[in-house]
Amino acid sequence: MSFSIRMQLFAVLQVVLTALLTYFFVTNEYRDLSQQNLDALESFLIEQKQQELKNYTTIATSAIDHIYDVENEYDAKRQVAQIISRLIYNNNDGYFFVYDNQGTNIVHPTEPYRVGQNYWDLVNDKNEPTIQILIGNAQNGGDFYRYPWNQPTTNTVTEKLSYSALLPQWQWMIGTGVYLDNVNDQLASIQSTIDKHIDNTRFIILFVALSSIFGIFIVGAVLHFTQKKESDKKIHQLGQKIVSLKEEEQRHISRELHDGIVQVLVSIKYSLEATCKHLGKQDIPKPQPLSQAQHNLSNAITEIRRISHHLHPRILDELGLAAALDALGSECSERTGLNITINKPALSKLLPDHINITLYRVVQESLMNIEKHAHASDTIITLTIVDNWLNLSIVDNGIGMQKAQFENPSENGIGTRNLAERVEYHSGIFEMKSSNKGTTILVKIPRSAFANHYNPSHPEQTTPEPI
Amino acid sequence: MNPALIKVMLVDDHPMVQDGLSACLSFYDDIAIVGNCGDGSAVLETAKQCQPDVILMDISMPKLNGLEATEIITESLDSAKVLIFSMHESAEFVTNAVQAGASGYILKDTNSEEVYQAIKSIAQGKSYFSSSIAKMLIENPPAQANARLTAREQMILSYIAKGQSSKDIAQTLTISVRTVEAHRRNIKSKLNLDSLAELVRYAMNQGLIDS
Repeated sequence: MSFSIRMQLFAVLQVVLTALLTYFFVTNEYRDLSQQNLDALESFLIEQKQQELKNYTTIATSAIDHIYDVENEYDAKRQVAQIISRLIYNNNDGYFFVYDNQGTNIVHPTEPYRVGQNYWDLVNDKNEPTIQILIGNAQNGGDFYRYPWNQPTTNTVTEKLSYSALLPQWQWMIGTGVYLDNVNDQLASIQSTIDKHIDNTRFIILFVALSSIFGIFIVGAVLHFTQKKESDKKIHQLGQKIVSLKEEEQRHISRELHDGIVQVLVSIKYSLEATCKHLGKQDIPKPQPLSQAQHNLSNAITEIRRISHHLHPRILDELGLAAALDALGSECSERTGLNITINKPALSKLLPDHINITLYRVVQESLMNIEKHAHASDTIITLTIVDNWLNLSIVDNGIGMQKAQFENPSENGIGTRNLAERVEYHSGIFEMKSSNKGTTILVKIPRSAFANHYNPSHPEQTTPEPI
Repeated sequence: MNPALIKVMLVDDHPMVQDGLSACLSFYDDIAIVGNCGDGSAVLETAKQCQPDVILMDISMPKLNGLEATEIITESLDSAKVLIFSMHESAEFVTNAVQAGASGYILKDTNSEEVYQAIKSIAQGKSYFSSSIAKMLIENPPAQANARLTAREQMILSYIAKGQSSKDIAQTLTISVRTVEAHRRNIKSKLNLDSLAELVRYAMNQGLIDS
């Protein structure tokens, strides 16, 4: 795994962790805060309701105050019951109920069938005796009680908050209550708003985290791409540097062999000849080992020259590209019978060494390919300088190249692909067109790559290779 | 000094080769080694001092190669004939040598007897080529050989294109104005160009001088 990918994963992990922690703390904090608020709100609402209930009860008791004076208690009670049962508020949900101290219902406007029934032993879902508690509260001076009871408007059992007080003359308990469903609804709606906020927060955190991760990947990909491009370029340059160094090294060794060793051998050869002449002058016959030595020496000279030429064509340095191409062409047509025509400029030594050797290798490799695969009878090599471009074209009339031959280096050669890279290294263009009528190789080098190379005052001085 | 004596000058950057060859040639009574130098740029000066009949000239040398040195000799020193004595065995070198004004071309691996024969032929005003070289020239006559400018001609063209007059060039190269004019005519005929303007444009287009 590469360094950049590891860094990327590390960054993503960090984002994920941060997002999770943020999410956890923010939602928790939200929840705590909202719970506190809800609790406060609930007790406030309940308090409000309690006050209301107390007030209603006070109004109700004062509404019947004057009736106690009636002499006939039975009538008075009937009248009171009638009045109270008419006191309805909140769409039937708000009503007054009255029980005597034995738990027998006296007033219940929404459920009139209860009147006359005894509910002393009624036990609610909370396992508490509802009516006993309400009566107890009333006898103790009035208090609140929450219990489940049927809600008239919805006809469902809902939590109810009731206040009960005592009508002391008759030991009756009068009470009224509110159903807490709308309080609960209100609280639930607030709760859902808060939940919505939490959801929003969660979404924002998720969005930020995802876009961060996406960003990291984009940046990573861009970095990776540019780094790869950079390193590809470096590898390419390194490859060409190796090629240049190899050519330079070969040139050096070739020169050492040709101008050094061979010259020493030549001097030895003439020394041996001088020795022969010396012996001849004294009428001493030439010893056989001396002849053998001369013969071997000649072979050695030929062999070293062959090696030197193979490493680097010296003619390129001495006479320039055009002459070197002539030599290459005549050597090739002598060997293969191929007709080679070379068109070249009248001037020479306009190109620096590294371009010379590159173009020379292009022609060398092309001729080798033509010889091996093209079955051509004619080849035209043209070297011109036109409109700031140096053009080299090698055109044959053979059968064209197969795709495989484009890509794969020929057995001894350096390969077309490699040639193209070498040309491109000198900011040049390498083109190859092949059909069943022949192959054309075209190399173009911009003048900027060889401008002002020619220097008449030091014609032998060559610029050092820009590696 | 014997009037039939052939005065020979050796130009080779390898003293050992010079020594070996001198040792061989010393066996021939009609040859005298009158001078030597190891670098093309010093050839003219040495030759003016020792007035050789024949100069045995190597091609690959530091600073100035033997072909350019040959051109300088032929344009300034009529009395000296140049015999190229080189390791290079290819038609292009021979053609260039002939264009530069060499009278003969032998390879460094020819035996001393042939070297002697070559020197004698050249001294008599004939030309001489090693048999392998002659064969090469016959089999593979270099096409359009005279279309290419020699090193000296190319140098002079660059001076012309930079606006120098024949007189200026003669001064720079310490040769006569007539020689410069002769070069100029050769350049025009080789390039098939007539006017100065055409020469300048050609030099620019070919990248010989800055455009």
